Amino acid sequence: MSRSDAEEIHAEALRVLSTIGVFFEDKGVEEIVVRAGGVRRDGRVLLPESLVEDSLKTVPRRIRLYDRDGNLVAVLGEGARVFNPGSAAIRILDYGATEPRSPTLADLKNLVVLADALQGLKAQSTALVPADVPAEVRDVVRLYVVLKYSSKPVVTGAFTVENLPLMVEMLASVREDYAEKPFAVFDVCPTPPLSWSTITSRNLVDLARLNAPAELIPMPSLGATSPVTIYGALVQHHAENLSGIAISQAVRPGAPVIYGGSPTMIHPYYGTASITSPEAVLISLGYRDLARLLDLPTHTYMALSDSKQVDYQAGAEAAYTAVVASLAGFDVVSGAGMLEYESVQSLEKLVLDNEAVMVAGRLTRGFDRDPAATQALAEGVLEKRGNFLALKHTRQNYRKEIRIPSVWDLEPRARAARQALLEKAHAAVQEILSTHAPKLLEGDQLEKLDNVLAKLYRQHNLKLGKPNI
Amino acid sequence: MGEELFKAVIEGDDKLSAESTRKLLERGLAPREIISSILVPAMRHVGELYERGEYFIPELIASAEAFRACMEVLRPHIGGLTDVPVTGVAVFGTVRGDIHELGKNLAVAVFEAEGFQVIDLGVDVPPERFAEAVEQYNADVVGMSALMTTTMLEQRNVVEELKRRGLRDRVIVVAGGAPVTEEWVREIGADVWGRDAFETVRIVKEMLVKRRGGARRSPA
Repeated sequence: MSRSDAEEIHAEALRVLSTIGVFFEDKGVEEIVVRAGGVRRDGRVLLPESLVEDSLKTVPRRIRLYDRDGNLVAVLGEGARVFNPGSAAIRILDYGATEPRSPTLADLKNLVVLADALQGLKAQSTALVPADVPAEVRDVVRLYVVLKYSSKPVVTGAFTVENLPLMVEMLASVREDYAEKPFAVFDVCPTPPLSWSTITSRNLVDLARLNAPAELIPMPSLGATSPVTIYGALVQHHAENLSGIAISQAVRPGAPVIYGGSPTMIHPYYGTASITSPEAVLISLGYRDLARLLDLPTHTYMALSDSKQVDYQAGAEAAYTAVVASLAGFDVVSGAGMLEYESVQSLEKLVLDNEAVMVAGRLTRGFDRDPAATQALAEGVLEKRGNFLALKHTRQNYRKEIRIPSVWDLEPRARAARQALLEKAHAAVQEILSTHAPKLLEGDQLEKLDNVLAKLYRQHNLKLGKPNI
Repeated sequence: MGEELFKAVIEGDDKLSAESTRKLLERGLAPREIISSILVPAMRHVGELYERGEYFIPELIASAEAFRACMEVLRPHIGGLTDVPVTGVAVFGTVRGDIHELGKNLAVAVFEAEGFQVIDLGVDVPPERFAEAVEQYNADVVGMSALMTTTMLEQRNVVEELKRRGLRDRVIVVAGGAPVTEEWVREIGADVWGRDAFETVRIVKEMLVKRRGGARRSPA
């Protein structure tokens, strides 16, 4: 979009907030917004333009994201392209299976170890919801596994109001300066259209209070939970993000917020929510421009697929969205490994998506001017008779200029092991899981983390057996 | 006139549907007749159009809304008609913490069109309210909808509340919503996975026939 297009949508979203307003399920959160200048009307709260504009003055423009050990990983707000696995899958598709199954803690551990090894993924996510853990504590246990088995930063989220503070306590148990040097971001999803449920709004309030980054994920579904036009959905999407920023800044000016989203196209016949449809991607690109207008860090769901199998469609959708996300310069890109409308994870697909992400990264890196090119051309033609492979210039530069794929099928036919790509991906999964040694959390940090886990189980009156992870 | 209403429901014109219903009432047509000979066939035809791929969800919803508009007109007139045979009594709602009603509304319309007396509890319904409604209306079916992974946990609480009050075995429990899987339905002890409204109503009707040996019932 042009700047004037973006300004027009921003103005429309401000109008929406000041005339239609937002519904709060939780009256405590509603009161916070009213005290900040919101106006109650007919069960909703109108957000005057001044309230929103004031919140935009205090929301941070950059978020420095660190790993578990305190090393800087990326500066969000500068096109960081932090790809990470799609989060909160309720199923996992095993190699060779046609039907996905419920994941376990052991599956989550494997996924975390795998993601730790994959270079294209700069962050982890709490990617699976383990079915062998009591439902009341699944959100927190997911975070426990990630913190224990990987030092990469993590994209996560809470399923309940009361568990979020415990999740932040887990971060503090690992590193006390979690707020100054954040290594986890929490997804918070408003309910479309223009509503905030108790869970998500109170999560957002707690995150602001605890100074932990919140990643706002509006979820307009064209024609179902938002207007059917991309423009209309974009106005709603922007308004919902602005309302999230207003809540957050009302609690604590300066609280970190990432402008994100998960727009979908509801299939007009099946009712399925396609996240990789061109219409959904256009909304994402549109809100990227809106976030850029406000100079805010951005998030998107890309490098994923709506297919049910790791097949042509899966590859096409994951690769095209990975390239779009990378070229568009989103800061946080969630989705790798994901199938079937963000509900099914696959370890093999995670490996293949990592490859797509690396390709996207290479495309984005572009190329530099080479002052030695003419000299290399002269040497190649005049001295090496066209054999550039024998050139020092080649030897010195090829590894940085050329990204060598690790899984893609590029072997000559004679050397190929006659494995299908999926088989190669499976072999890579097996190899990584048997050889990769992640940097485990140990000593005092692990003990403190274990204590928070025990506290979680006590709070829910659940018996914590000997952790099998 | 009957044709006009039939066509209006199929075309999803809620205003014309309500208007036609009013006119039919004024002409002395019995509410029961309007439902059984016009509205139910119209909704069945809509279901067929959907099955054939001619209708998509927006048309489906529009027809469901038109059907509901007709029922709003008829409801005051059918309150006292205890002799109207019904397939069963169903209590529907979106669970606590969830304020989505698209899927629930479609299910309500389809169940009503299939002859159920549906008690629509609305959205953000706590487990106790589901259970109270089952007792109050002597329901045969409980349908609970949830759109989010966070709120689908509430479906388990509804089943637990029904158990606590000794009502669980009296009702067929349907769990529906985008994140709900067949496995989840089994895990929480519900009976039917509400994959889509038409399939669900078919399964529920089969279960009711088995339970009752084929008899229809009078409304509570």
